[in-house]
Amino acid sequence: MRPTLSSGSARVVATVAMLVAVGAILGIVESALVPALPIPGVRLGLANLVVVLALPLVGRAAALRVSLLRVLIVAIATGALGGPAFAMALAGAAASWAVMAWLTGRRSVSPIGWSVGGAAAHVAAQLLVASVVAGSAAPLLLAPVSLLLALACGLVIGYASRLLLSRLPLVYPEVGTR
Amino acid sequence: MTRGDRIVVAVVAVLAIAAWPLAGMAAGQDAAVAVIVGPGATYRVPLDAARRLDVAGLHGTVTVVVGAGSVRVTESDCRDHLCVERGAIDAPGAAIVCAPNGVTVRIGGRDDAPDALIR
Repeated sequence: MRPTLSSGSARVVATVAMLVAVGAILGIVESALVPALPIPGVRLGLANLVVVLALPLVGRAAALRVSLLRVLIVAIATGALGGPAFAMALAGAAASWAVMAWLTGRRSVSPIGWSVGGAAAHVAAQLLVASVVAGSAAPLLLAPVSLLLALACGLVIGYASRLLLSRLPLVYPEVGTR
Repeated sequence: MTRGDRIVVAVVAVLAIAAWPLAGMAAGQDAAVAVIVGPGATYRVPLDAARRLDVAGLHGTVTVVVGAGSVRVTESDCRDHLCVERGAIDAPGAAIVCAPNGVTVRIGGRDDAPDALIR
């Protein structure tokens, strides 16, 4: 899939910055919420919304920048930088981006599918890192529940991003209706 | 929702269901064991195994009985028999101590992982 905005333009820089800012806010809000799972650092990935939006707007490479930058900013804001939760967030962000970037190459999959796939990869990577950090397979016990939660959360984020993308022609005339 | 989306949803749902037995295996690996530490030796006995151990203590013998998911000290050559009075323990992290004999019995997981991590 070709990104909507041609790379290097000021609009790309502004769009990436905006998505990072929104993603950081969502991430900080999420870290203040009651955790959905009894493992510190495991998140459902509300902030994944901005990566889902970034993929069609600015392309895969810039979407990865958005994702990693927001993880860094959230870690600085919540004091998790360099800790186990940071490693988990980083792994989750990278895995989620990889799966979503792959799914964007498949014509039959819409942002809803990207989001669900990304959310599943996000929790799976976090649980794996949590197992390594804790030196125990215990976090993997939560895999079934986590994947089902990710499925639900991914659907919500997917529908939300489809809604947002359908409104984008107002801001980005280049974005065709999908 | 497109056809591709339905496939992605189905794959995630199948993975979630397939993860149940995997999670069960992880639980089995961490099955509780009784860790019995004496002055001369350390024993690790799975809690579901029925076993009787005579552990050599500093003043005599401590008899530890493991079985049916719990462990207790039935006899001990010590003055107060606090270890015997402690009864059976079955919760992870619970312990029986026979201080005069230098023998402790603890319930631990395979690798005694921390209960939780906070930052």
